[in-house]
Amino acid sequence: MHKDKKRLFFMGLLSTIVFLTVILLAIMEIKNGKITFGSIFSIIIPLILIVFMVFFITRKYRDLKQGMPLEDERSEKVINQAAKSSFYVTLYWLLAISFFENFFAGLIGQETLEASQVTGGGIAGMAIMFFAFWLYYNKKG
Amino acid sequence: MINKIKEFRARYNLTQEELARKAGVRRETIIYLEQGKYNPSLKLAHDVAVALKTTVDELFIF
Repeated sequence: MHKDKKRLFFMGLLSTIVFLTVILLAIMEIKNGKITFGSIFSIIIPLILIVFMVFFITRKYRDLKQGMPLEDERSEKVINQAAKSSFYVTLYWLLAISFFENFFAGLIGQETLEASQVTGGGIAGMAIMFFAFWLYYNKKG
Repeated sequence: MINKIKEFRARYNLTQEELARKAGVRRETIIYLEQGKYNPSLKLAHDVAVALKTTVDELFIF
């Protein structure tokens, strides 16, 4: 149980750091007057993820208070399956981003994608796919 | 594999949450076990059997 509390604490700490980084990024973008569709997108996506994290951490904390473990055999299996599946799909997603770079750049009003945008898109895609696979394997049992 | 977890749980008037706490697992695991959607490891099967004061052989039918 102590290990679970520590784990929950670090999840909360990580979410807070990400949230503060996003706020700082937003402030810098507004200060520089460099607000583009891409920069708004790169702020909104982490904020959505943070909302999910807050919901997730609150639920886990409630479970912990009721004496339930954070993860057990089945939930760890679901996470591992989701991670495995999202890893393989992400490989194809990253290939797709590099092959269709011009198309994705056109979507956000640019001619080419910057390295940070490709990385961010890859990570965001992997996170979304992990969540989708987690939902699927969790429902499947 | 079929199981008699629900039957034994009703015998001792345990909720899924209470059984989950006794077995040291999350409530969802008990739900999926009862529905037959998840096959437990030997350790989990044993923990659930102990929580329901029975044996693995009586609880799970292969």
